[in-house]
Formats: sequence, structure tokens, C-alpha cells
Amino acid sequence: MFERFTQAAREVVVHAQEEARDLRHGYIGTEHLLLALLREPSSVAMRALDRLGIERDAVRSDVVRLVGEGPPNRLGERDAEVLRSIGIDLDEVRRRLEEAFGPGALERRDRVRHGWRRRKRCESIADDIPFTGHIPFTPRAKKVLELSLREARQLGHGYIGTEHILLGLVREREGMAARILAQRGASDQRVRNVVIDELARGGGLPGRSA
Amino acid sequence: MTEATKIANQASSRDPRVGLRSVAALRQLVEQLEVIQVQNARNMGWSWQEIAAELNVSKQAVHKKHAGRRFLGRGK
Repeated sequence: MFERFTQAAREVVVHAQEEARDLRHGYIGTEHLLLALLREPSSVAMRALDRLGIERDAVRSDVVRLVGEGPPNRLGERDAEVLRSIGIDLDEVRRRLEEAFGPGALERRDRVRHGWRRRKRCESIADDIPFTGHIPFTPRAKKVLELSLREARQLGHGYIGTEHILLGLVREREGMAARILAQRGASDQRVRNVVIDELARGGGLPGRSA
Repeated sequence: MTEATKIANQASSRDPRVGLRSVAALRQLVEQLEVIQVQNARNMGWSWQEIAAELNVSKQAVHKKHAGRRFLGRGK
């Protein structure tokens, strides 16, 4: 399914991962997809969000206010240095842990804390995405990707673009992204209207660059 | 370890900045180790009771920390 994503839509998925990493969140949620949409300058979604007065900085501070930022969770060079001063070789600790528990064992620190992560894995578009590293999508974010496919179908589009991701985001009302958008006056219906209008302005069927 | 780093370490061992940071780093390392080990124990079918006994904490403490908590207060 992922092969039907436009280049811009793929970038959104990749950037969502970066947004999550940047906020040191251990998951990719709908809020990270929204932040990533706000990074695609000439996309349909970005134009629509722009018209709705949704700004990236404002959304980002909403996210930080609502869920906070993760703690600095990597033991860095400086930590390695001070640990060495009390006789602990962090590289050796890391090496042994990776030997027992696999690559990146020491870096994946929040695994057991996610209630949703203990749930059964569901088949999803997100499983097809090859480059999300080890940051998992939340079930809602996966759902949004599914919904974006449905939105594209309903509009009779043969591709999934940023606009469909945006429509998927607002349709998933309980998601963080939809809630932030609604609080900022961009309700499901308003977003939908503006997106449709943007698509019409773009001259009927938009190209795959959307 | 080279002579230079040895000397540097000895010299810094009484420097509170280095000492305090080493405590903070160690604490973080312990937290991460705990997550890894608890996860592994759960995967191997250990009960919270058994895990708590090895960690020398109460079952409630370990359960609250590792099972109940949702990341950054997500979920409802």
C-alpha cells in the first residue's frame, strides 16, 4: 500500500519519525504526523493548514504542553566520560547488553511503559513502511494512515498524498492532532472544506506531486 | 587506559562536577538497565512478584513503575 504514497506523503512519514525523535517521544503519534505535514512547504496539506491559520510553532508548543518532552534518554559521550571516572566502561556495558538483547538495547528504554504496546500487533500500512527505525507508530497513527487510504479512495484518487493524510488526521477525532486542530479552530469539517477547495484550485485532479 | 587518561581521572576524582555527573549518569544507566531487565523477565514469563523480589522492592512498586505507567501520560 505504501507504494501509492506520493513523494511528499512519504516524506511526511519519515519526518514524523524525526519529529518524534526530536521531542524524545518513544512513539510516532498523530501529533508527529501533523508536525511533519507542517514541514512540507508546497503540499496541498500545508496550503490548507496555512489557510486555516495553523502554524507549526504553535502546534509544536501545544504538543509540548499536552504531552511534554521526553527526558534526555541517551547516555552520551559526556556520560561515558564521567562513568569512566568511577570505573564503569559504558561502551562495554552497551556491548554486553547488545550481545544479550540485540542492537540498540540500551537505547530502547521506554518499551515496557507503553500500555498500548503490549496489545496485539495489528496488520497495518505502517508495517510496510521500511524506514521508521525502531520508533513504533501508535495504533491511532496507524489508523490515520489507513484512513488516508480510505479518504483517497472516496475522492477517487489513485494515490495517497499529504491532503489525504490530513483528512485522515481530522477524521481520527480522538487523536492528539485532531484535538489540537479543533482547539485551534480547524474542525474536521472546516479542514475538509478547505482541502477540497485547495484541490479544486489546483485544477481538478491534482498531480502526483501533491 | 593510557597514562594520560589515568592521570586525568585521578585528577578529576575530587572534582565535584565530575563526581556529581557520574552519579546522575549512573542513575540513568540504572533506570535503563531496569527497563531492559524487567522487560526480559516479563518476556520470560516471570511474575511481578518474582521480579520485585530480585529487585528488592515491593511488588506494587515494580508493577506501578513498569506496568501501569503509560508513556508521558498518554492514554486515558
